[in-house]
Amino acid sequence: MKNIFLKSFFAIVCVALLAGCGKDSLILVPPSAIGDTGFYDTAEQVEGAVIAIYDGLQAIPLREFAATEMRSDNTRTKSREGDWAQFEDFAVLPTNLVVGLYWTVNYNVIFRANRVLENLDVVTGPLRDQFEGEARFARALAHFNLVRAYGAVPIIDKVIIQTDTEYYDRDNEVDVLAFIETDLTAAAGLLPSRSGMADGRATSGAANGLLAKVKLTRGDYSGAETILSNLINDPEYALVDDYGDVFYSEMNSEIIFAIPYLDDDANESQDYSFEMTAGGVRSGLNYPTDDFISVVDPDDTERSAILFSPNNAAEVGKFLTQSADARLCGNDWIVLRLADVYLMHAEAIMAGQQSTPSAAAIASYDAIRERVGLPSLADQGASELTRDMLLHERRMELAFENHRFYDLVRFGVAEDVLSAFAAAEGHSFSPTDLLLPIPQGEINVSSGLLLQNPGY
Amino acid sequence: MTKRLTSSTKYSIWNIFLVVAMFCLPMFSFGSTDLEADMKPVTGVVTSAADGLPLIGVTVAVKGTTSGTITDFDGKFSIEAEDGAVLVFSYTGFTTQEIIVGAEGTYNIALEADVELLDEVVVIGYGKQKKSHITGSVSKVTNDNLDQIPIARVDDALVGQVAGVNIQMNNPAAGEAPTIRVRGQGSISFDSAPLIVVDGIAVGTDADFLSSIDMNDVESVEILKDAASSAIYGSRGANGIVMITTKEGKEGPVKFNYKSYIGFKSVPKTDVLTTVDEWLEYTRANNSGELPEKLQYVALFGQQTDWEEVMMDGGMIHSHSLSARGGTKNTRFRASLSYLDDEGVLLTDNYRKINFRLNLDTKVSERISFGIMLNPSHTEQRRFPIGVHDAIRQHAWLPLFLDENNIQYVNRFRENGRWADAQIGDYAMERMFDDYDLDAMMPSMGSGTDISGTSNQSSLAKVLERDRRKFQTKIFANAYATVNILDGFYFRQRIGGDVRFTRNTRWAGIEASRNGAADSESIRTTSQRFHTVSESTLNLDKSFGEHDVNFVGGFAYEQWDWEESELEAAGFDNDLIQTIPAANLVGGFTFQEEERLISYLSRVNYAFANKYLVSLSARWDGSSKFGPDNKFGFFPSASVGWRISEEGFLKDNDFIDELKIRVSYGITGSNAGIGPYDHIGLITPVGTALGGNSTGFNATNIANSELQWEKLKEFNPGVDISILNGRFGLSFDYYNRRSEDLLLNLPIPSVTGFETALVNKGVVENKGFELELRSKNITTKDFSWSTTALFTHNENTLVDFAGASGLISIVDDKRPAEWIAQEGHPISAFYGYVVSHEIGLEFIKNPFYPINGQSQDIYVRDINGDGVIDPDDRTILGDPYPDLVWSLGNNIRFKDFDLSIMFQGSHGAEVRNISSQYIKQEFSSNQDYTAEFPDADQVVQRIFTNDDIQSADFIALRNINLGYTFNSPGLGKVGIRNLRIYVGAQNLLYIMQGNYEGYNPEGADQGLGNPLTWGYQRGPAPIYRTVSAGLNLGF
Repeated sequence: MKNIFLKSFFAIVCVALLAGCGKDSLILVPPSAIGDTGFYDTAEQVEGAVIAIYDGLQAIPLREFAATEMRSDNTRTKSREGDWAQFEDFAVLPTNLVVGLYWTVNYNVIFRANRVLENLDVVTGPLRDQFEGEARFARALAHFNLVRAYGAVPIIDKVIIQTDTEYYDRDNEVDVLAFIETDLTAAAGLLPSRSGMADGRATSGAANGLLAKVKLTRGDYSGAETILSNLINDPEYALVDDYGDVFYSEMNSEIIFAIPYLDDDANESQDYSFEMTAGGVRSGLNYPTDDFISVVDPDDTERSAILFSPNNAAEVGKFLTQSADARLCGNDWIVLRLADVYLMHAEAIMAGQQSTPSAAAIASYDAIRERVGLPSLADQGASELTRDMLLHERRMELAFENHRFYDLVRFGVAEDVLSAFAAAEGHSFSPTDLLLPIPQGEINVSSGLLLQNPGY
Repeated sequence: MTKRLTSSTKYSIWNIFLVVAMFCLPMFSFGSTDLEADMKPVTGVVTSAADGLPLIGVTVAVKGTTSGTITDFDGKFSIEAEDGAVLVFSYTGFTTQEIIVGAEGTYNIALEADVELLDEVVVIGYGKQKKSHITGSVSKVTNDNLDQIPIARVDDALVGQVAGVNIQMNNPAAGEAPTIRVRGQGSISFDSAPLIVVDGIAVGTDADFLSSIDMNDVESVEILKDAASSAIYGSRGANGIVMITTKEGKEGPVKFNYKSYIGFKSVPKTDVLTTVDEWLEYTRANNSGELPEKLQYVALFGQQTDWEEVMMDGGMIHSHSLSARGGTKNTRFRASLSYLDDEGVLLTDNYRKINFRLNLDTKVSERISFGIMLNPSHTEQRRFPIGVHDAIRQHAWLPLFLDENNIQYVNRFRENGRWADAQIGDYAMERMFDDYDLDAMMPSMGSGTDISGTSNQSSLAKVLERDRRKFQTKIFANAYATVNILDGFYFRQRIGGDVRFTRNTRWAGIEASRNGAADSESIRTTSQRFHTVSESTLNLDKSFGEHDVNFVGGFAYEQWDWEESELEAAGFDNDLIQTIPAANLVGGFTFQEEERLISYLSRVNYAFANKYLVSLSARWDGSSKFGPDNKFGFFPSASVGWRISEEGFLKDNDFIDELKIRVSYGITGSNAGIGPYDHIGLITPVGTALGGNSTGFNATNIANSELQWEKLKEFNPGVDISILNGRFGLSFDYYNRRSEDLLLNLPIPSVTGFETALVNKGVVENKGFELELRSKNITTKDFSWSTTALFTHNENTLVDFAGASGLISIVDDKRPAEWIAQEGHPISAFYGYVVSHEIGLEFIKNPFYPINGQSQDIYVRDINGDGVIDPDDRTILGDPYPDLVWSLGNNIRFKDFDLSIMFQGSHGAEVRNISSQYIKQEFSSNQDYTAEFPDADQVVQRIFTNDDIQSADFIALRNINLGYTFNSPGLGKVGIRNLRIYVGAQNLLYIMQGNYEGYNPEGADQGLGNPLTWGYQRGPAPIYRTVSAGLNLGF
């Protein structure tokens, strides 16, 4: 009896000792993730990294409206509270959370794109071109978002870690735009056209459309015009008949690039639709300003029905959720659509002048107006398309799609328009407000290499 | 996969074992020895020589036999023994006495108190030590009467018992854990909760473990405070060790104990809100007797709700515990079953637990013994679903439900006829009553008076239509076997572990939110966590001549397996079913983790002539969580002591009986903040909505092959003094704790694609002292009175923040009040502007509405005197760490009555009470200013100022308890061994500082566990008062 006990006891001890010994048993493989050594070995795995770029893109539109629309004369907050009110007051602080977030999510997309670009070696053939094109498109889009919002920003063209301090400081705007243009030009050549890609992925059309906008921003009007007229004539894109279908019939023929979301999906939904309603946790963001409402043409009924929510006229109506859960919204975010291309086409022809008599420009302008039942330029009794008319049309057609602020900048009227608007609202606007502050948190950790914009 | 199957099989075997054990218990026989013919009865009374009081439970054994008994309630014993036999009388704290049985049949024995009374044995890590030989800082709390405090958790019972250990009732809803800090907050990024060790098994830092232990089962709690003492726990010792020892079996006939109490809970302070009447009076007084239109409507409406009373409706706690304890010389057991039901003071917070425990030890032979400890438990907690600030913030005029009277004010036209069908019995909500025409005395269609302050549902609906529960089934098991190799030299193998099944359910019904069905949701999370430990130690415990040597050395292996799954559903059409139908599913995942720890440990305690004391320990911990370049950590410690009182020149001194000085230094660690795979660069699946839906893989962090434990280095000198035969005692400890290599999610430039990287940088220092004074004021036969006073002072300083000094943290981006982490100051410091003066009511458009409202903004001081108010005028406004925490306990016994009273106080801490902003309706747009508002550029929102920084000082009568022990011989005749009844109260007095506007100054952790925003108070559960009565019955 005693012997048996002793034996079994020592057996237990031995098992216990054996089970643990050795340093190797301290190296565990995570069951719910993959270690980064030994990944990106196959084309499928690299495609996983490509798809991750689109996951990163989903973060960009979430609060972008605050830094663009709410910072323009288009929208405001309902309650004028906290960080959110800083945009409409033109008193954005470097500590503003949206300012920090927008910087972060864009650079995160750039990181994801660079991860793909440095792991392309295992992919061959057309797939390699496509992946490279997708990554360079996304990298360009994120840099474009950044350069327009913050001005000179660091160009990140490879995967870096925190010790790569030579990447901390700002590259000037011209260089950033040139870098973007290089990426987009390459992407346009590498990517298949819309019919060859799944919905939501970058295409040659998307790269070209964005490239045209970059060229407009740089003042390369003729370069932009060529690309834009090609896109207008591209049979893969067409304006939809009903203005409402642009927003409520997703991935329609007018969409050139959009970031898709899914209703009632905890991970793949967005909540900006929710935040733009009174039910939102902020009691309503991105509410149209009185200034905006006052310039809506009373005859512009087809668009007005979509611009303003039928549930609450004080709210934006373009992104009303169809989801069962109010916070898990599936409305896609449209980055670029054909109507924008039409109006950019007119803008390119106008080439920075006050007006243009060009029939091609007027035709593009008219196409947008006629679609919503508004009189053409000729029917308005005009013979030339003026800058103000074009800008107004862009404001109405693309309202709340985060274009207004940069349109004002591109048209060279931002300072005048926003100063007047701010004065009417009891705020003060200064030219330095045309750029957001560099996030304070980023400056704090940059070892003094990242410098603040003037005026902050 | 195979591994996990094996684990679950193992635990189901435990389950079966548990059932078998329960059925076997009654079958244990405690055999009576056959009596021989020449035996005769020997009786007598055992008393204490010092005061002549009878001693209960003294072991009386016949030397060399197995026969024995213990003294009864009156100190009497009766035993059969033959002439010439030797009777041995032994009792803890007294010198053992032997007598030889002679012709007489009666012996009255007076036991002398052990001169080495300090030689209480203290549980330290991996062993025990005489208290007189302790050279580190270890506090022992014996469960004399802690189990009579009417609270559900072991940690709550320790409040005020130990110097240097701050137990804070952060959110004392039913079942919620308090925060325990041993000698201050050491970590910058993570919780600094101590390691919990139950019966020798280190279970972890999760306070969950303390919720399932029944206080009635606890023998003692030891707290290892200094690094030298806790270094034996290596990479888990840096935040101190809470060691719980449960009651073991005792030799003797089976004794049963039934303990029960019932307590009634209430909130001591409910005067934060203003009533409608008070507000009307205030308005008339300040507005030339006039009521503005809105208040005219409120007065007409005529409803009043005391939201404090509705939401803090009081509660009741009751507990029942039945235990059996007994054994033979070789086999001893204790088994208990307990049930506790705690209805918290909030409307829906409840907690229930059922707990079983078995401790069984058996001696197989002279050399071999083994034992098991088994503790299955089940707990169920229902949580109050919203913050208290949110529950009480609405207008006092809002009724709970629509009734015959108030329904006439419901506006049936508004919001497209949203309330057209309002019925009596519906929840009332503020918006329903807007737009009332005061002239026509009826709801209007757009031209009437609005009185709502929020579009939210009433908080009653928010609370009642939500249901949040946490269910936990835990099995804690531990078995050991000891083999005596030589006298005092033995090998011990321990195998143990714990398993936790946790289920969280979260439901929000259709009426829970203003968004109705669109915001309804049901979330179910289940997790299972297995933890297994194997520990093999060689132990030597030997005295030869003047040398006392104690050695332990060994090896330990631990493994953790954790799996969690969650299902999430939304958009319910009705409230009929709260589980998740496939149609409503919106999300779900499973997640799995593992962790391993391998340790080698050793310690030598050596005492020469009871005078010179040395303790050395060393531990090597290898953890799967550490980076490949730092897989193993080394944690050494050393401490020395000198008992001056044992030296010749003091030995015979009548005044001083103990004088010991000691110094300790140790290095220990904390790995609690490191995730199992943090050192690896991880790639995780991410979803997109591309082409409908497709999955990618994304890198989520930057690899860090050097990732390692946080390190604590502590220097701790101390002195213990006892004078006049133990009449007065003093212990004093000074400590300097330097926490280094702190894990920091260091902010890095986002241009890397990441916002933070987990690195070991940063230094925090905690230094302070602990003073413990004990006095036996009066000790007589009928009356005794003793006093204990504890004082703790701690100073927290951020020494090195790895270049991030000055980091501003906020909790809520809608109310971005700031904290600053600045080198040279505490880790958490409130930051902001200093209030100058209030804005005059004449400049506020609607100064008298909303009710209880105040302006959102306030004038602040131009600190730097540059003529403008800008961010440079911010300064440190206070910190959430107390300067002094004290407690004062008195134990008084008069004949059969006993009285214990404990006061506790905390001074010098502040909280940032953001609840004030809600309760005072500061964000209301009704508070906009008039056009002629002066110096508009010199106001900022109150939340950015010291207006919300409120004193967290308190003085509480934590516990008072009056008991009566029945001492009637008649009880014995009916089989009752002892009976004590008592009444008590917890927090009978709770004095808060005048400027504090809330219900719980201890609530400091609504910053979601982030040490950098400690002190953020946002509607914690209130401090409660319990008045209770209970009984202890032994039979």
